[in-house]
Amino acid sequence: MVKNKKYRLEIKQPRLAAGIIFFTAKACGLPPAVNVWGVELKKILETLLRLITYQPDFDREGFILRENEYDRQSVPERRDGGQKSPGGPEGGGRNGGGEGSGRRTPRRAARPRRKDEPAGEAEPGRVHSRLDENRRAVERIYGLPANKDVILREFSLGTDPPLRAFMVFIDGLADRKSQYRLLENLMIHCRILRPGDVMSASRIMTSLLPGSQVKNLDSFEKIADAVNYGDTAFFFEGSDSALVVETKGWEARTVDRPETEQTITGPQEAFVENLRANIALIRKIIRSSDLYTEIIPVGARFRSDVAVMYIKDLANPDLVAEVKRRLSSITVDFVTDVGMLEQFIEDSPYNLNPQTLATERPDRVAAALAEGKVAMLLSGSPFALVVPTTMFSQLHTGEETYLRWQYGSFIRYIRTFSFYLALLLPGSYLAVTLYHQEMIPTELLLAIAGNRERVPFPTVVEMLLMEFSFELVREAGLRIPGIIGSTIGIVGALILGQAAVQANIVSPILVILVAVTGLASFSIPYYSLAFAVRIYRFFYIAMGALLGFYGITIGLFIQILLTVNLKTFGLPYLSPAGPRTFPGRDMVGRLPVFLQRRRPDYLNALDDVRLPGAPRGWVEGGDGGSEDGSDR
Amino acid sequence: MKMVRTGKFGPAEAVVLLTLSSMARIFLTFPRFLVEIAGEAAWLSSLAGLAMVLFQVYVFLLLLRTHPQKNIVDITAEALGRVAGTAANIVYAAFFVAVAAMFTRTFSEALLVSALPRTPISVVSTGYVAMGVLGAYVGLEAMARSARVVYPFVVAGIAILLLALIPLWDYTQLFPPLGQGPLSILRGGLIAGAVVEVLLAAVIVQSFHDPDKFGTILSWAMLMGFGYMIALMLILVMTFGYNTAQELTLPFYQVSRLIYLGRYFQRVESIFIIIWGYIGMVKVVLTLYAAAVTFAGTFKLPDYRPLIWPLALIIFVASLLPGDMPAAERIEAVVLRYYAWFPAFVLPLAVLAAGRARNRRNRKNAGG
Repeated sequence: MVKNKKYRLEIKQPRLAAGIIFFTAKACGLPPAVNVWGVELKKILETLLRLITYQPDFDREGFILRENEYDRQSVPERRDGGQKSPGGPEGGGRNGGGEGSGRRTPRRAARPRRKDEPAGEAEPGRVHSRLDENRRAVERIYGLPANKDVILREFSLGTDPPLRAFMVFIDGLADRKSQYRLLENLMIHCRILRPGDVMSASRIMTSLLPGSQVKNLDSFEKIADAVNYGDTAFFFEGSDSALVVETKGWEARTVDRPETEQTITGPQEAFVENLRANIALIRKIIRSSDLYTEIIPVGARFRSDVAVMYIKDLANPDLVAEVKRRLSSITVDFVTDVGMLEQFIEDSPYNLNPQTLATERPDRVAAALAEGKVAMLLSGSPFALVVPTTMFSQLHTGEETYLRWQYGSFIRYIRTFSFYLALLLPGSYLAVTLYHQEMIPTELLLAIAGNRERVPFPTVVEMLLMEFSFELVREAGLRIPGIIGSTIGIVGALILGQAAVQANIVSPILVILVAVTGLASFSIPYYSLAFAVRIYRFFYIAMGALLGFYGITIGLFIQILLTVNLKTFGLPYLSPAGPRTFPGRDMVGRLPVFLQRRRPDYLNALDDVRLPGAPRGWVEGGDGGSEDGSDR
Repeated sequence: MKMVRTGKFGPAEAVVLLTLSSMARIFLTFPRFLVEIAGEAAWLSSLAGLAMVLFQVYVFLLLLRTHPQKNIVDITAEALGRVAGTAANIVYAAFFVAVAAMFTRTFSEALLVSALPRTPISVVSTGYVAMGVLGAYVGLEAMARSARVVYPFVVAGIAILLLALIPLWDYTQLFPPLGQGPLSILRGGLIAGAVVEVLLAAVIVQSFHDPDKFGTILSWAMLMGFGYMIALMLILVMTFGYNTAQELTLPFYQVSRLIYLGRYFQRVESIFIIIWGYIGMVKVVLTLYAAAVTFAGTFKLPDYRPLIWPLALIIFVASLLPGDMPAAERIEAVVLRYYAWFPAFVLPLAVLAAGRARNRRNRKNAGG
């Protein structure tokens, strides 16, 4: 109703404008092509008007992580509580085989069917009881025999009488050894059965197939899904369902040391590209039956699985529901990395700051889960997304917790300082040298001026040149292949700097400055945040060069305002500093772990208390904590 | 009526926001006026001003307590009736606009004097007004949070400034303790007590998480704001002596220029530009926001945001009207500081009286 009204209001003037243009064109005797022009112009005008006119904006934030609603509530009664995705019917397209697609293959759509899509013919994708029918169906689905990856192998069961059957799998995805064992069992070892036994798929499943994960499926869509992910499907004559045995076994990277988040202490494992292995890496750390993993399919055409992990009796149910709602509402062709996923689910795509935390360390994910956060893993991506995240947690590495608290706090203060340096140093240098020279002690001022004397460029140009060269070295160092990459980066930077100074293109102090800034920005542990800082830095360079410290003040005002206004999954991005909540003794400075008795207040976890009773029982009260060290 | 969401913030943020806002004037020429009036006892004048402000807070508390869900705009409209109420609300809004314009001008002038002597004033004013628009548009919640995030840096900066001057303190400058006499102290108090923050807090009270704590929040904010002012007054007079202090254009700036702790820690006044530049922006944001919200409340508009652009333009133009810095200062000292009592105190007092009278009449009517 309101929308219509708004639209009508907007269209009034453009129509008038377009009319005027049209009639003027006609009066001038211009060809009718102008009419088309007029329509285009009308559209442009409409858009322009929408941009500059007032649009009421009554509900700016969708989801808010409510304060204390679930605090202190005991573990929910239903163990399978979160199984249904709240955004719509669970896996809407999953059950309806062949629902909604005019495509050749009855592949499932990850999204619930839209209203305007055609519903498709009734159940074409069910497994038939005649083997030949099924074979034709499989050949149709996979485009056999043209498609060379898919192997269809016919065989007979070694029963009496022999039962015809065939199996389907994708070469390279399925594990040969387990297939040999399966075939061996079906073709040879089943002679023990008595002749005349009814050989249904379920009977074979219970007594003949030694796979640990066997599913009895009757929809080609689901079967194809499984086969596409490395499983092997068996079809039998006379059975109107197929057996899908888990035989995933492709070549994959083994678990290795972290590449981008290196630490000195703490676990040295990183995620790999295999979803199940990644989940296991987390489960290995959090050994709890309350750790839930829900799989949400993403990707309308090429399915990827997103595993949503959380701890049932800790994570705020609203948060879990919101994560699942956002994930299940995504319409995307396919997703290859969590970096893509992140862009679909973050709150403010136009803000520079990253609003999720991508990490490759299972121990960090485990720590986040234990705080009540939610993690997302994507099949094929060696990173996990943790939400919600704050800027403070993006400046942590997890290593500080493994170190003694004095060392951890020290590192964090250094890092905070370097954060400011990376952001403000070049801009402040420009402000000081261009506008506030009185701040510089005389000797230093003379030194700077002496160095500058031979340089023909203004300081801003000098600064931009150096910053640009630094970014160039950085990018080139990343792209240069192999071992020479890292060395050429450093050598290139050194030689470039030295030569630039000798050629009087930049002054030496600027080289030092840019190098320090670069070092500072490398010390920001989260890659995305470091990126944001790199870009903001240019903004401050411009502001400092334009208006000195006043410009930097303007920059700070804008940046702080936009950053505190940012929300990640209902949580203010700068919590617990803005808005102020109970900081939990783990923000910039870090107190001893035994003093961190509560979980971060802003997460509104179901259980606030992290350390019940006396954390150091042997000091505080007699006999200490429970004997086996388990939670109470 | 559906109002636009403006967000809410907790007491800590509210206190800090109002404190920063009330600190704004100590970076400008205001301390000089106070020294001029009260002499050595300028800090006592601030104390007297604090007492007067706390009395204002009490009056506003009486006003707001009876209508927990409303702000001063609604209460005024209700108590004074349609015509007088609307007129009074327009006076409030005009007051906010005037304060915003005045602070835009004086902060810009201060920046020109201290740091950017060759920059046109319109450029600096544009910066302030633009930040005002941005802050008011994004909303008070973000503004309060950002104030809370920045506050530790402000406190640290001021503490460093004041403590770095210890070598220059001369306690004898504070004597005679009563300066020009008790009457001048009170006159100074009258000027120091004319603040915009009390009325402003009464306008934005609905953005507080718990409006019941209006009195506490405002009292704390005023105590802190005046605390900084008293400290600065003391240090100003101790460092310069009252004779020199009343000659200074920007006392805070002059004080910070004196810092000399060895060769490498001197002339750091430029760093303070960041602090007072920021505080000036907070002030402009708050007054602009309050003006827009007052207008929107007066005319029962669902959203205040469309009013920001025109009001910002008015503020910008008004800020450029005085011919030069002395003219702007004269308007501030002679007109605004004295007449501020009318919208900030007399009018609300009238509203209180009218409301009381109306209640009594209603009760009598109901009883009889």
